[in-house]
Amino acid sequence: MTEKPNSKPIILLICFYLILPILMTFIYSICMEWRDILPHGLTFRYYIEIFTDMEFLIAIVRTIIISVVPVVICTVTVLLAMYVILLYLPGLDKYMQILTMIPYSIQGVILSIGVLSLYANAPMPLSNRFVMLTGTYCIIILPYIYRGIKNCMTTINAKNLIESAQILGASKAYAFFSIIIPNILSGIKVSLMLSMAIIFGDFVVVNIIGGNYYQTVQIYLYRALFRSGQLSSAIIVVLFLITMALSAGVYAYKKPHHDQEEI
Amino acid sequence: MNFLSRKKIGTYLLALIPFVLLTLFFEIIPLVMTILRSFMVEGGTGITLDHYVAIFTKPLYQQAIVNSLIISIASACVGIVIGFFGAKAGNSTDSKTKTWFMTILNMTSNFAGVPLAFSYMIMFGSTGVFVIIGSKLGIDALAHFDLYTVTGLAFIYIYFQIPLATLLLFPAFEGIRKEWIDSVKLLGGSMWEFWKSVGIPVLTPAILGTMSVLFANALAAYATAYALLQNNFSLLPIRITEQFVGDIVQRPAFGSALAVVMMLLMVLAVLLQNYMVKKQGGRNQ
Repeated sequence: MTEKPNSKPIILLICFYLILPILMTFIYSICMEWRDILPHGLTFRYYIEIFTDMEFLIAIVRTIIISVVPVVICTVTVLLAMYVILLYLPGLDKYMQILTMIPYSIQGVILSIGVLSLYANAPMPLSNRFVMLTGTYCIIILPYIYRGIKNCMTTINAKNLIESAQILGASKAYAFFSIIIPNILSGIKVSLMLSMAIIFGDFVVVNIIGGNYYQTVQIYLYRALFRSGQLSSAIIVVLFLITMALSAGVYAYKKPHHDQEEI
Repeated sequence: MNFLSRKKIGTYLLALIPFVLLTLFFEIIPLVMTILRSFMVEGGTGITLDHYVAIFTKPLYQQAIVNSLIISIASACVGIVIGFFGAKAGNSTDSKTKTWFMTILNMTSNFAGVPLAFSYMIMFGSTGVFVIIGSKLGIDALAHFDLYTVTGLAFIYIYFQIPLATLLLFPAFEGIRKEWIDSVKLLGGSMWEFWKSVGIPVLTPAILGTMSVLFANALAAYATAYALLQNNFSLLPIRITEQFVGDIVQRPAFGSALAVVMMLLMVLAVLLQNYMVKKQGGRNQ
């Protein structure tokens, strides 16, 4: 089919529209002043300011910790549950599917207020804000982790692999933990990074549950909005670059995985 | 033998415990309690429907629901139209352009929440760049653009709906075969007729499915509106959270009732979509 002449302008227009706010934020962050049609003066002092602010660096570390811990916990939890369901109780799979679909439709606000109002005055491990945040994030990313693992298991045909291993004398548990898991780990990297990116960019859950107790970069950014416009835009650019690095990671892993599938 | 098999049952069930605990403590109990709490008297023990009555009779909360619905429906509609043309264009171009397009869509789909709200403040806020340009060049629509209104917020929401709509519609367009277009042309039909009687009906389930995702996405969006006007925007997610955190008197039972209303709206969107897909399917047969 001949290429339609009107497809490229539409793509260009949409891309321009989508990139414009990011570009404007970047320009805003490196100029001294923008009170006229064109900005004045080039400066990097806002970038220097944030990278020399201990509070920002601590907030980054906090954000990395809270982006990694729930992903690890959720992945291990789902893998263990999948082990039981795949090998012993396949009938439970539909319940697991429902449980992993619910967070997808309720989203952040409802889940966070549910968790907060339930555990704010609860006994110790549960009333700890970090525990609440971790638990809530585990549920928020559950659909992505579950989908990722499930798809990988289907791709490598986990059940057949385990049966073959059993014929060769391996136990079910050995087959699952030393054959299936290593095989799917490369495939689920995409869902793991996607989950990390979701938590990294989250403001809803952390603002409701974390608040003053656990200040991530998103909260730091929100507070900066009331201090200085240029400072805020510099933070946004830095955060955007980090998220882009995460998605670039997703992209880099996605490609070889697809090649594998084709073979 | 009996002892052995029982021991085995015990061992493998242990692996299920973390998942059960996690979903029980952070998904099932919080949700069930939110629903139950919505029927409880504030701070007391009785059962009541007062919260629901208040939500649907007090103008403050009626307005939050109406605003949320207007913004969600408007941004979903505009998003789906742009997404339609975006996915259509992306599928009829060469693969290199398509890869670039997909990369930009994926990249910008991460640009949401507080950062998005701030970038729009730079551009269209009260001293935003485009507002200044508008007033200097005498373009009234730009000079008097007010970002801090329902229209302004819907305008920002459209931004994050576009990448989502386009990415979700991409696979559906891949399903449209060139042979179908050729057949319509062979029978003397125009491209317009192709889209009217073949293309759109084939895409309808995907379009409706995407619509309900966009709707839910906008309905639950909180960060953008909060960054723009804190608790001063009358929107459902903002009215819900302020009952639990913040400066005003906290009313968890009432907030739970609001949360239940929001959940019902989402369920309604999904049911409506299912119903329309079914109806469409029946008509095609």
